[in-house]
Amino acid sequence: MQIVNLPINNEEAVNLTNCDREPIHVPSSIQPHGVLLVLSEPDIKIMQVSENTFDLLGLTPAELLDRRLDEFISSEHIEAISSCLDRSFEHINPIPLKFYTPDDDSTPLSFNGIVHRAITGELVLELEPTVSIIKNDFFQFYHQIKNTLTKMQTALNLTELCNLIVQEIQAITGFDRVMIYRFNENGDGTVIAEAKQDEQEAFLGMHFPDTDIPKQAKHLYTLNWLRLIPDINYQAIGLATHQEEDSEPLPKLDMSYCSLRSVSPIHIEYLKNMEVAASMSVSLIQNQELWGLISCHHSTPKFIPYEIRTICEFLGQLMSTEIANKEANENLDYKLYLKTLQGQFVERLARTDDFVSELIADPEALLKLTGAAGVAVCQSNVDITLIGQTPTLEQIKTLLPWLLEHYNQDIFVTDSLSRLYPLAEEYTAIASGVLAMAISKIQHRYIIWFRPEMLQTVNWAGNPDKPKRLEEDGTITIFPRQSFELWQETVNGKSSPWLDCEIAGALELRQAIVDIVLRQAEDLANINLELERSNSELDSFAYIASHDLKEPLRGIHNYATFLLEDYSDMLQGDGAEKLNTLVRLTKRMESLIDSLLKFSRLGRQELQMYPIALDQLLKTVTELFAINPQWTNCQIRVPQSLPTVLGDRVLLEEVFINLISNAFKYNEQADKWVEVGWLESNSQDPNFVTIYIRDNGIGIREKHLDSVFRIFKRLHAPSKYGGGTGAGLTIVKKIIERHGGKIQVQSVYGQGSVFSFTLPIESNTSVIPEIATDITSNPHP
Amino acid sequence: MQKLLNSPWENLTDPVIAIIEDSDEDFYSFWRATQKLNLLERLTYNFLRFEDGDEALEYLLRQGEYQDLNAAFPVAILLDLNLPNTDGREVIRTVKQTPILQIIPIIVLTTSNSLQDIQTCYQYGANCYMLKPMGVSEMQQTVQILFQHWFQFTVLPSYGQFTT
Repeated sequence: MQIVNLPINNEEAVNLTNCDREPIHVPSSIQPHGVLLVLSEPDIKIMQVSENTFDLLGLTPAELLDRRLDEFISSEHIEAISSCLDRSFEHINPIPLKFYTPDDDSTPLSFNGIVHRAITGELVLELEPTVSIIKNDFFQFYHQIKNTLTKMQTALNLTELCNLIVQEIQAITGFDRVMIYRFNENGDGTVIAEAKQDEQEAFLGMHFPDTDIPKQAKHLYTLNWLRLIPDINYQAIGLATHQEEDSEPLPKLDMSYCSLRSVSPIHIEYLKNMEVAASMSVSLIQNQELWGLISCHHSTPKFIPYEIRTICEFLGQLMSTEIANKEANENLDYKLYLKTLQGQFVERLARTDDFVSELIADPEALLKLTGAAGVAVCQSNVDITLIGQTPTLEQIKTLLPWLLEHYNQDIFVTDSLSRLYPLAEEYTAIASGVLAMAISKIQHRYIIWFRPEMLQTVNWAGNPDKPKRLEEDGTITIFPRQSFELWQETVNGKSSPWLDCEIAGALELRQAIVDIVLRQAEDLANINLELERSNSELDSFAYIASHDLKEPLRGIHNYATFLLEDYSDMLQGDGAEKLNTLVRLTKRMESLIDSLLKFSRLGRQELQMYPIALDQLLKTVTELFAINPQWTNCQIRVPQSLPTVLGDRVLLEEVFINLISNAFKYNEQADKWVEVGWLESNSQDPNFVTIYIRDNGIGIREKHLDSVFRIFKRLHAPSKYGGGTGAGLTIVKKIIERHGGKIQVQSVYGQGSVFSFTLPIESNTSVIPEIATDITSNPHP
Repeated sequence: MQKLLNSPWENLTDPVIAIIEDSDEDFYSFWRATQKLNLLERLTYNFLRFEDGDEALEYLLRQGEYQDLNAAFPVAILLDLNLPNTDGREVIRTVKQTPILQIIPIIVLTTSNSLQDIQTCYQYGANCYMLKPMGVSEMQQTVQILFQHWFQFTVLPSYGQFTT
């Protein structure tokens, strides 16, 4: 067995290519102002010890190693340590204890003992010499804290709170300079409060880049709320242990929680460059993240006893809980103003069905809601309304698909768009800041606010780019900062940041809009339900019309006829004529009722869709016309072979019969003709063909073109052109629409009309075999 | 000539055709058409009219005031569909579910050409479904065909009653 000195992680760190990788939590060395002991369990023997024991305890490491701790300190303190081996040590720290040298009768030494369990599992005891002027006076501590707490609670805002804290900490500790750093989202720190000596240069308002405090250091700040370096010019003290020869080297002690933990040489260098001899930092934590630091500097070495550090740490924790409160009070007037605006929007939107027009009705308010200079309201990828200063429509259309991939819970916020989206460099002056929210990604409904570039001067404490050197092996060596003199940078492509309250306003608006959309969907469902109900009511109405209305009508008709039959000799010619008119009118009324019934049924009945060869169908129709003597001198021309469409045979027959008989009926030519043809290519929808029926009839005046399809709208007196109910074309239109097609009419008055309509064709190949089987299985489709 | 009975008791021996029709005008049109029938006057039909389904069913089932009626069942029933109180469809169902009545042919005479009505009637067991036409001559034609078909060429289950 021999005593070995554990290797110190030291000089290698200076050459790190990236100090983010420096293992600062396992330096295997401590600062010399205390002694570190690693204890065994459960016998509490000293397993490792720092090499400075002789200076502080008068015993060499060899005299301490493998000795039981109760040889040196009273058993009640040993018990205090043992009793909370498995629990938090915080409530016993510090343990004021006396260290007895066994072979010596001299007065025991006073220490503050600080116990903790390392992350790697070891039981660690750190001993710091007690400074005699500090008494462990509970009431003194209580009054100090109570006084500060009252002041903290009455502080109006964050700035006041920070100023208060730096002054309090300075008063308690006596550091030359106490500052509060606040980290932004990039990790850069800004000094937001400072208490300093008059002759010192001010750091207030200065920015310190993220790299000044490496990631793992920031992590340690969240584990350990307080960090003290009493003298940066200290000599690091290594650890010693007894070790069997040839045995495995001990794992390195994780010193994350050690207050004596040695400092990274890079950090020491940094502090030296800052002309700081002693430093202390207290963490400010919000939501488990490092929000900022209370950073204390002193130009000469300075030790802060554990009790005072505890007060500082406690103040740091108090302040951490107060930050959220104070931040909520930040910009209170502005927040209230935004709240009012939001309320007005929500109220207005609640009363509307068309949120887009309501949004753009008050462009000023929409911009002020988020403090933007421009806004784009997108109803779809093409229907975009621009207000204020925005990129061009084309630029926004290009931006939309990119944004789609960058929404985080339907919102995207940046104050420097061009950094993320290089195409935006063209318009940084107008849109460096973007606050976009998706109301519906499926329907491409977005609201995108824009903020112009704000050229800003950032006061860096020295050039934020660390000096680098490219080594021969290709690695880059980064040196600690040399200078902290004011170094100004002009930042381009950046807007003023979007405040949380502005983003909250946008989100609230989004919620209001989503509610409207949901409500509209609900309304639509209700309307559909209502429609269904009224449809079935219409159906029963149609039934009543067909049945109950027809019964008295039949009575009128029959009785008028009976009168004519039985009393024709008694009636004057005029009376018989009037009765004939009555009979004719009842006939007409019946056909109107029938048409209405047919029309109302058409909307609901299931279509029997099959492939129909129109040539075949037209042949049947032509025969029908041919056998009716009414249509002599009438000719149906089919100049080209017609396609096969998908449709309901009976209904399509009716379409052709209706349109062709109309063409013949409203025709004053000696030789009447219609021409049935079709257009193969339909640019709008390849699944449809366009059929047209052209005639040499009387034509329709242009002003009536719109009304020919309206039900019961007739263009001629009932006595002319053989009468008609005025429902034929309405029924035709309905049939075409039920097939998914459209119908339109063109006409030259006095020369003829062309009715053209679209019908579906078999385009979906997967449908064809199904229909084919249907046909074979059903001999009469 | 066809004869319209005032009550089933008026003639207890000759065959009766029951007609259930609520509309006086429709019945009169029908009746007028039967008077002009151009048929072999082999038999005289007695018509018995009911204006609603309830009364017709009481007659057919021999209930209520008809419980002591001692007359043969009608040879056929001519039925309008939409009736006050018990509906025509219900009349068909009852008749066709009653063993002693179910052989009586039911000829539906109605205005409704709704597919659902037609199918329901046949489903319940109606024997024939005819539409009431509009127009006197059309009515004449319909009645003529109806009589020729059902009372001249068709052999009815109550054939024996005709010949005796």
